[in-house]
Amino acid sequence: MSEHLTTSVRTEDTGFWGLVDRVTANRWVRWVVLIAFLALLLLLPLVAEPFTNQTITRIAVFAVAVLGLNIIMGYTGQVSLGHIFFVGVGAYCAIIPIRAWWGGDLAEGSIVIGFVLALVIPGVLGLVIALAAVRLRGLALAMVTIALPIIGVPLAKRFSDITGGNEGVSIKRLDYLSSSGATLKGNPFSAPPGIGLADDQWQYYIVVVISVILFALAFFLVRGKFGRAFAIVKENEAVAASMGISPYWYKVISFTISAVFGGAAGFLYIVALQYTSSEALSFGHSIELVIATIVGGAGSIAGSFLGGVVYVLLPQLTNAVYPEATTAVQGVVILLVLFLLPGGLASLPRVIRRRTSRRRGGPTAGADLAADIAPGITKR
Amino acid sequence: MFNFTTFIQLIIDGLATGSIYAALALAIVLVNQATGIINFAQGGMAVLSAYFGMTIGNLMLPIHPILGIVVGIIAAAIISYGMGAIIERFVMRRFIGSHPDTQVVATVGLLTLITGAAGLIWTYNYIPYPFFFDAGESFRIGNVAISVWSLTTFLTILALMGVLQALFRGTKMGLGLRAVADNSASAALSGINVGRMLMAGWGLAAVLGAIAGILVAAKIQLQPGMFDTFLVYALAAVIIGGLDSPIGAVVAAWGIAILENLAGTYVPWIGHDMKIAVPFVLLFVILLLRPQGLFGRKVVVRV
Repeated sequence: MSEHLTTSVRTEDTGFWGLVDRVTANRWVRWVVLIAFLALLLLLPLVAEPFTNQTITRIAVFAVAVLGLNIIMGYTGQVSLGHIFFVGVGAYCAIIPIRAWWGGDLAEGSIVIGFVLALVIPGVLGLVIALAAVRLRGLALAMVTIALPIIGVPLAKRFSDITGGNEGVSIKRLDYLSSSGATLKGNPFSAPPGIGLADDQWQYYIVVVISVILFALAFFLVRGKFGRAFAIVKENEAVAASMGISPYWYKVISFTISAVFGGAAGFLYIVALQYTSSEALSFGHSIELVIATIVGGAGSIAGSFLGGVVYVLLPQLTNAVYPEATTAVQGVVILLVLFLLPGGLASLPRVIRRRTSRRRGGPTAGADLAADIAPGITKR
Repeated sequence: MFNFTTFIQLIIDGLATGSIYAALALAIVLVNQATGIINFAQGGMAVLSAYFGMTIGNLMLPIHPILGIVVGIIAAAIISYGMGAIIERFVMRRFIGSHPDTQVVATVGLLTLITGAAGLIWTYNYIPYPFFFDAGESFRIGNVAISVWSLTTFLTILALMGVLQALFRGTKMGLGLRAVADNSASAALSGINVGRMLMAGWGLAAVLGAIAGILVAAKIQLQPGMFDTFLVYALAAVIIGGLDSPIGAVVAAWGIAILENLAGTYVPWIGHDMKIAVPFVLLFVILLLRPQGLFGRKVVVRV
């Protein structure tokens, strides 16, 4: 019977969509696509215009921010409306030690210190916030985190002697002592001489390499023990508790990890822009991150990357066409996505596949439905 | 250096600002009890209604200033009721029963859309809102100068709460609203039109927000994002007071506003710019000690 079923599906699996179906469902094809994508990322900056490189660099920065938000929101089902706070704090944590010590004896060591601080301090803040905020059931996290950017901006202005307030901090031209003894101006993230790369290419490689590593870490996180626990907490907290998975602690862990990713995005932000200000952690940007996460695809690694693309390109697009309408367009886009494509752009291939298999009545329809219900649990 | 008259003024101003938070918090609780949704667009809807009220009122201003203001307020109230009902029916109805984070994101999307639309039509500049009196006007009782705005705001919101209470307790519609909030399935079985009740609930919440919006606009002028901060305070009040307790939310709103006024004045480090952090420090302490909020009930969930 089952043999008969498979053969009958095989014979029906013809035509263009059948081909798409079989090709996208094949895991080897997925590996090839992934490797081709990484190779493209590696080679593109050597031939592309500086503006393209800078745009892709920024996409990588915000893809990491969206990835962090996705861990708490997409995978654990807890809405955070203040994720930009961790990005902004991470950016300050990265830039302040670099500004203070890069020109001195520490030199490149200051960048390492900045990187470590950009991970640790947002992580600790995230932990403290989560300990209190996830105690209330349901939407308390959303209601508490919405305050973070709204408190963060005046806080950054208050400590303007280290944060630079509205004007911000720039490390584009820092003093340093050259080997000949003269004091020169330099940018910590300009390409080292003799390497044969322009500044935009150098920054691109730093940001993209770190982003790819973070994406790989997140991939293994959500497929592993933690990811499965997050999925159960998202699905039903009572069930999770009855299985010995504490919803409270897993929400705290998830929020903390998400904050660390936010901090990492803050560091990458500094590599890409060498500048930050209190404006970087404003409420509007936080909402844009949420929108990018949903439009890209909640609970999806590929969706996080697409979210980064949306975050950077959507405002660029609307700014080019009709700048006054940027905010309104974002609102329309998110509502349309929620109505028409709740899984975000990342679910597009799956939706197409399901449409076609439903039309043919193939057996994949049920499997796809199961995957929709429990994206974190069902292995695809 | 303790000045008693300053102290009294701080309390009165706190009560007035607190009333705004309370109105918004009450609107949020109202919607939440009926639909289980936290409406992050509540402030945005209020601002949009105030813009409509201003625009319509301004048409009447040449005839008589008072007429213009009154027409503006009435127009804002009617439009906000319609807006709330339409948003419920055509946007939020679809998200009833979906995952809470989808609901949150939907209302956040609404907030973005509404803010963007207001900015598109009326720009992002501050626009003065014509009102019965000047924002700075005050009168004296003994040594204490009482701001007319503060007194009006406090009394208006208090009166609105009284009207709402009467509506909920004393009318058939209120009974229906309470039935839907309590158990919408049973309400539907006993012949209540749940859909219409949900629309009415959203509409009433929007009216409450719109009146608060006009009062704020009369003081600090009208701007698309002007209610974002108020929304944050209102949410803090809702959490502290407990999502299922309207009285708790109102008391918490007043408490927050008075506390932040006092802290902003008497604790030099906090000052005017950092006083928004005060309710959240308070919130943290409360969440750690009493996760269900000060007045909320513990909820037992069935698996």
